[in-house]
This record gives sequence, C-alpha cells and structure tokens, in this order.
Amino acid sequence: MVCKRGLMRPAQLSVSRCLLLFSCGALAIAVLALTVLASASQAFAAGGADLRIQITDQNGMPIRNAVVEVHPAALTPRPIRFPWRMGMAQKGQAFVPGTLVVARGSTVAFPNLDKVRHSIYSFSPAARFEIDLYGRDQTRTHTFARTGAVKLGCNIHDDMRGYIRVTDTPHAGTTDRNGYLTLPGMNTGRARVTVWHPQLRAPRNEHRIEVMLADGAQTRKIGVRLR
Amino acid sequence: MSGTMARTMTRSARTNWRALLRRAGDLRFGSLSVRIAVLYASLFAAVLAMVVLFAGGGLSRFAENSATRDLQSNARVFNEILDLRAGQMRQSAEVLARDFGFREAVATQDGATIASALASLKSRSNADAAFVLALDGDLLGADTAGAGDDETGSSAHGMGGVSDPASLWYRLDAGDTRGIIDTHGKLALAAAAPIEAPDLIGWLVIAQPLDRAELDKLVDLAAIPLDAQVMRAGSQPQWASEKPTGTVFERGLIEKGEKARFLYHISDLPALQEGIAPQLVLRHSLTGTLGQYASLQYLLIALALAGIALVLVLSLQVARSVTKPLGKLDEATRAFSEGRDIELKIETKDEVGRLARSFKAMVSAIEERERQIIHAGLHDGLTGLPNRKLFTEQLGSLLSRRKTDERLLIAYVDLDDFKVINDTLGHPVGDGFLREVAEHLCTALPDALVARLGGDEFAILIDNIQPGANLAGIADDLQNALSREITVADQPLDMSASIGIAIAPGDGTNGTTLMKNADLALYRAKKEGKSTYHFFEPSLDEQARKRRQMELDLRLALKEGHLELNFQPLFSVARRQVTGFEALVRWNHPTHGQIAPVEFIPLAEETGLIVPLGEWVLREACRQAAQWPEEISVAVNISPKQFIYPGLSTTILQAISAGGIAAHRLELEITESIFIADVEKTMATLHGLRNLGVRIALDDFGTGYSSLSYLRSFPFDKVKIDRSFVEDLGGEGNGHAVIRAITALADALGMDTLAEGVELSEQYDVLEREGCQYVQGYLLSRPVPGDAVARLLSSGGLPDLVRVSV
Repeated sequence: MVCKRGLMRPAQLSVSRCLLLFSCGALAIAVLALTVLASASQAFAAGGADLRIQITDQNGMPIRNAVVEVHPAALTPRPIRFPWRMGMAQKGQAFVPGTLVVARGSTVAFPNLDKVRHSIYSFSPAARFEIDLYGRDQTRTHTFARTGAVKLGCNIHDDMRGYIRVTDTPHAGTTDRNGYLTLPGMNTGRARVTVWHPQLRAPRNEHRIEVMLADGAQTRKIGVRLR
Repeated sequence: MSGTMARTMTRSARTNWRALLRRAGDLRFGSLSVRIAVLYASLFAAVLAMVVLFAGGGLSRFAENSATRDLQSNARVFNEILDLRAGQMRQSAEVLARDFGFREAVATQDGATIASALASLKSRSNADAAFVLALDGDLLGADTAGAGDDETGSSAHGMGGVSDPASLWYRLDAGDTRGIIDTHGKLALAAAAPIEAPDLIGWLVIAQPLDRAELDKLVDLAAIPLDAQVMRAGSQPQWASEKPTGTVFERGLIEKGEKARFLYHISDLPALQEGIAPQLVLRHSLTGTLGQYASLQYLLIALALAGIALVLVLSLQVARSVTKPLGKLDEATRAFSEGRDIELKIETKDEVGRLARSFKAMVSAIEERERQIIHAGLHDGLTGLPNRKLFTEQLGSLLSRRKTDERLLIAYVDLDDFKVINDTLGHPVGDGFLREVAEHLCTALPDALVARLGGDEFAILIDNIQPGANLAGIADDLQNALSREITVADQPLDMSASIGIAIAPGDGTNGTTLMKNADLALYRAKKEGKSTYHFFEPSLDEQARKRRQMELDLRLALKEGHLELNFQPLFSVARRQVTGFEALVRWNHPTHGQIAPVEFIPLAEETGLIVPLGEWVLREACRQAAQWPEEISVAVNISPKQFIYPGLSTTILQAISAGGIAAHRLELEITESIFIADVEKTMATLHGLRNLGVRIALDDFGTGYSSLSYLRSFPFDKVKIDRSFVEDLGGEGNGHAVIRAITALADALGMDTLAEGVELSEQYDVLEREGCQYVQGYLLSRPVPGDAVARLLSSGGLPDLVRVSV
C-alpha cells in the first residue's frame, strides 16, 4: 500500500525518491522475512500450552492495550521475534498503534502518514531520544537497546501519546478490547507476570506477580489499579 | 395556678388601661377647643409614633438586610476574585509547565535547570513560592536557597516552605489545580499546572501569600467596607466555628470601649493541601451602616414632631372655629337669662349658624310670649282694658311724676243694674255690654286711662289737670259719657253708672289711698241713688271707719251673746187672739247701747255675717218657741243672702230638732228680692224648705216687681202686706181697695194674709172689713223680750186699744 502509493507518485524523481524506493523494497523484504519468522516461532511454540490472561481495572472493567510480559523461570535466551510489525506510524495525529511491544534491540520505524509534520521525543529512561520534525511520507527509526517503557510524545501535538514496551521475553503482548491476551506455548512452572499500562498506579506503571503455570491451557485474571 | 395569676394580671392590666383611657376621655379642660386639640394631637401622635416605630424598625431591618445581602454578594465576589487570581497564577504556571525544555528538565530531574526556571517564573508572576512536585512525590526545584529573597527561614522547611509535600500530592493527584496551601507557616493561594511528558510526571505549583496587605488590596474591590481575613478553621474562636459556613450572622463586640455590631460571613476556601481547612472571614461593621440610617430615623422623628405641632395648631384653630360661636351663644344665653338685650352675630351656614338662628328665633318667640303673658297679666281678658294691677302701677308711676301744682283724678265707675242685665238677658249679652261700655269709654275719654277692675267696675284716670280747672265739669263730662243708650245684640240698653271720684293731692298722694277714697266715694254715690257721682270727702272716710268698727263689734256680739231676740205678736183677726210671734233681733252694744236692726242688718248683709247671724236667730227662736204653747208659731226673717246659702236647709232642720218644736210652727219670711237671682234655683230651694214641713211667708208684699207672678209660681202659706199699704188706710185714699184686692187674690190662691205696721184702730177696722186674716203692729203690741211672751199670752194677749175698738 505504501509502495503503491509511492509508485503512484512518478513526479518525484529525485534522490529521495530513489531512497523511498529502496526503503520500500527493504520494508517489503523485512515484512516477508518477519512473516516467515512468525510462522516458524508459532510452530516452535506449539510445544507448550496456551496461557490466557485477562486484565481488569479496580472496577472489574477490562483494560485494553495493557502490556503483559511473562518471564518463565526457565527461559532460554534466544532471539525474539514478535508477529507484529516493529513500526509506530503517525496517522490522524495519533501514534498507531498506541502501544507497541518490541524485543530489546529492535529498531522501530516511525512513518509519518499524516499531512502535517510531527516530531518525536521521549524522556523515558529506557530510551531518551528526540527526532526533529519530519514531514509526510517520511519515516524515522530508533533502536531500543534497553528494556522498559518508552513514552513517546510529539513536541507540537501535546495530545499525541505513544508507548513502546521494550521487553526481553517472547511471551508478551497487548490485551484486546476485552482485556484478553493469549500467550501460546507456555511451559509449566513458575513464571513472573508483569503488567504495564501507562495509567497503572504503581512505580514505573508496572504490576508484577509470581505465578505457577500448570499443565494445559489455563486462564488467569489479573486486576490492576488505574489512575 | 400560674395561668390564673397571669389571667388576673392581664385582666387588671386591661382594667387599668381602660381606666386610663376613660380618664383621658374625661380630661377636664376649661375649654372644648383645647380638649379637641389635645385629643386630636394625642391621636395623631399615637399614630405617628406607631409609624415612626414601624418605619424605624423597618429602616434598620432594611439596613441590616441590605448589609447582609451586600456581605453575601461580596463574599461571592471575593471567592471569584480569589478564583480569578488562582486562575491567573495557574496560567502563568502552565506556560512554564508546557515549556518543552522545562518538561525535559523535570523529566530528567535536572534540578538546577528547574530551579532557575522556577525563579524566573516567581519573579515574572509575583509568586511567593514555586516548586515542582513530581508524580512520585519528590519535591523538585525548591527555590528557596537560590532565590535570595527575604525568606531566610524557609530553608528550615527545606521544601520551598511546604512542610509536607505528600499532603499536596493527594490533592493534586485528585485533579485539584487551585487552593490554599501552607507555605512558611502562612496560608497562601496556590495554583498547580500538570507537567506532562507526555504523560503526567508532576505538577508545577506556585503560591502567593494571603497576608493582610494582599487581602486589603482585594477588599478595596468590595462595594462595602470590609475586613477580610483567611484563617485556619481550627484557629477560629468558638462562636465563629459554631456558625454554619456560607451564612451571614451578627455578632456584637466591644471595640474601643464602645459596643459595635458586626456582620460576619465565613466561607470555606478550597485547600490544595491535606490537613488544613482554610476559611475566609469577612467582617462588616453594622454600626456604621446603621448610623447612616439613624439620621433618616431622626429626620422621620423630626417630621413627626413637626406634624404633631401642626395638627395641634390646626385642630386648635378648627376647634376654635366651632367653640368661638358656641362661646358667643353661651354669652348670649347668659345675657338673655339676665334680661339684657342680645347681640348675636353668627352668620355661618353650618350647624352652629343654624343653632344661632334657632336661638334667635327662640329668643324672639320667648319675648313674644313674655309680652303676651305680661299683657294678659296686666289686661282684662274680656275688654282688653288694663286691669287693676296695671292701673295701680300706672297710677303709682303717674303720681310719682306728678308736678306739685298738678292734679290727678281717679274715678271709680260702677254700672247701675248690670246684674239685672246679666240675669235677665244672659251672660253673653252682659259681656257684650261690658265690651261696648269699655269701647265707648275709650272713645269718649281719649286722654284718660280706662281700666276694668272687675265685674261691672271700671276705673278712669285723668292726669295733668291744671290748677284752677273745673273739677265738677270733668265729673259732669264723665257722667254724660256714661249716661247713654247702648245696643247689644240688637237690644237697646240704658247705660248708667255711679261714679266715685278722688283727686290727688287733696284726697291722697299715694295710689292706695286714692283708690280707697275713690271707692268710698263710689259707695256713697251708689247709696245716694243711681246715675250720680260723688267726690270724696273726709267724712266718707269716717263713715267707712265706723262701719268697719261695727262689723268687728257685730262679730264679737255674735260670739259673746250681745244679741237677743224680741218677739212681736201676730194677731188673728178672726180668732181675736195671738197665734204667733215674729222674732226680731236686738243688739245691746256694750258702749253704744241698743243698735237698731236697720243699722246693722245691711252691714251684716254686706259682710256675709248675715249667715251666722241668721243661724243664731233660727236656733234661738226655735229654742224659745219650744217653751210656748203648742199652737203658737214663730216667724223668722230669712235674708236673700241667707236664702241662697247652701246650708240653709240643714240649719233649719238642726234648729227645729234642737228646739224640739213641730216644723209647721216655724214660719220663714222671705222677700221678693230672692226672685231676682236664678228663679229655678230659688224655686228648688223653696220646695226643699216646704218639704221640711215649715211654713213660708212672702214678706213686704207689694213693694217689688211683678209680685203677682211670684204668687202664682209658688204656693206661699202667707202673704205679708207691706206696711206702706197699711199706712194709706184710715185716710181718704183708696188704700182699702188695694188691701181688698190683695186679700181677694190671696184668698183665691189659698194663702193667708197678714198686714204689717198696724198702729191705728181705724186701720185695724178697715183690714178686718176687707178680710185680712192677721195683723201685726204697735196697735197690738211692740216687740217684747222673750221672757215677756208667756206673760203676754197669759194676760189674754190683747192690748186695751184693740179691745176698746172692738
């Protein structure tokens, strides 16, 4: 879609156009590679059970876009590949998706799909950076080397909020609109569950619990307090 | 118990009140006008007092209410001002809070940068304190040390003067952005702006102290003078904390030795910090506000007093307009009652004017009636002439004004035979006659004062008679004026009068004497004959004195028994013996000796003494006759006055029964003159006497008027032939013819005849020859005393003379 759009603009025959073509091509290759990886990891994970977790607030209402990370006690470190794109677009004067879970060391692209220019800043300790204003159809990237929550803002649009959770576990994701997140391929045993949400009332907006994962599919319900 | 007492008290209070009211109503003021004025003014004053009281109360209530409203609205304004102030502070805080660099500094906890930014914010926005409270509760950029201002003590607090940052955190976290906080131990107005990067990482708080100077600046904006103070709720005095917030209440305080009233309004202020409860205390001096209205009240009272004075004056004036004419009326009434002339000038058309007119009308009506009464009192109702009283008065006044050489004549006039006119023609004619006479007298004597003294008596007064005037001429003129014919009711009547004249000063200089003397002269004139006049002479007075003396003596004689009866025998010609006696009264006067009946009987007739005298004669005659033989009768004369006396029958009956004689032995001798009075009444009396059984003889027959008709009208037992007829006998005349006629007539009517005054035997012979049955006279016997009767009867009774002639 992005490429198509790019191709539909034959008037721009400058260096930038060549650059765009290049990036599009790179993106396409990357997407292709990710898809392959994802299917491979799913095949890998199929060895464990599904863990279904629901996050609710103090009123019992499901919380959407809460980040859940499960750190099993025995976790063999290996490269983590999430099935979603490592990208946070700016579209309709908002970060899309609003909350993104990435593996440590991932490079996230920030394509500006709006007609206006945006900047990106983060004062979060996990990643402190600043990207100056850039226009439409341009994209910037940043690589997140430390785990933790990164809160993104736009310097000229105060209302724009974007959150990137840099994690070091493959068992992570965001809840759907019903507050559910299903993590497949979980092994039994002790695990640490970390729930993060920008409004969560806790230090560093994190809520941690230790769980014992039984065999077979199971469902957990975790209540947190939001501000 | 207490209820009864209360009722009793209220009742007694009510009674007192009523008594007071009654006393107020009864207030005695000398004048009606003052009373009216005072009552009206009191009423007006009472009403005004109520008005002033209510208006005054209303004014002060109004003042209090408006002050309360003002205070309430000012409290709102105050709160809004504080809000506005906080808003401004927040805006300036927000400017910094949104600054990217500042946010970065906060996010990166760059303390120095924050502090410098806050310092510049403080100086820019006149804030007293500015700091950042991070979301994790840390206080960043506390400006104190670097600020270098006078807040030297603040370093002791450390955190920008805020003793407990956590107490702010909860409020800020709850979303509050403005309120009161405690900095450096003082209350300050604070505003907070969130710092977002992009999520909330903390708050920027700036604060301004709410000290006296600041509040005074705010107070200047208020509409009414206020005293504002921001305090902690706990530091309020007890009375203030008891009152509900947000309301206005009043509190009296002693300030500078004077009692002052204040209105308070206490309202809660929002706090931006836990643990403090700031309150705004507004105070407004009510005394000052009411002072302004007090002058209005004084003005009201002054107006009321002026009004009362005006009402007093006006009502006095109005009342005077009523009472002044009343006073005049009062004075006029007094003058009227004292008989003075009345001058009443009230010309108003109101009730008082009508009263005055009615009063005038009443006065003139009374005067008219008085005049009528006086006229009636001083005039004769029948003729309209002055009466005796007026005549006496006029005479008195004329006499007192008489000049020395001037003479004054009064004449008493008595109409002759008026009684006859009255009796024969009736009273209406008699009255008409009197009226005619009066009118005639007035016309004939225009210069004289003519008065009617009563009955047929008139008095005439002629004054201003010059010396040397012909008095006899005047008397003749009077006589002529009174001697003429008058026609009354188509009947010609002869007027004639007897006149007695007295002249001042010769016959007296005072009215009483003159009138007495004129009366005496009249008496004399009447005695002398009708239609004549007589001047008063001193001898008349002497005669009158004698008559009065004799009257007194006669009364005494009746009482003391100086009277005695003599009896003259009545001789029966046929039987040649005495058959009765006529009782004749004799008066043996102690000093004057024997007094003849001719002298004292008329006097007794005039004075009415004839009634007791006649009674005595009847009793005495009957008493003596009782000692006589049965067949001897006794005759008693009954005078006309005695005859009409109502008690006559009783007297006769008592005399008969007291004497114990048979009624037929008593013979009453009456004269013809009794018939002059009411004939019917006379007849009734005669029949009444006849029914007693006594005999009745007609005395002095032949001397009066229509004797024959009397004879026919009553069956007398005896007719006594007058001595004048007997005197004619014995001579050459035709006296015997008259005797014969009378005896024949009496015989025909069945009456006896008796001849009186038989003195000569020749007379006796004629009488015997002509058929007279009884004789009486000196020929037979003079009247003899009572004790001689028996001797006279026993001696055969007849004097020698008679026997000789027989």
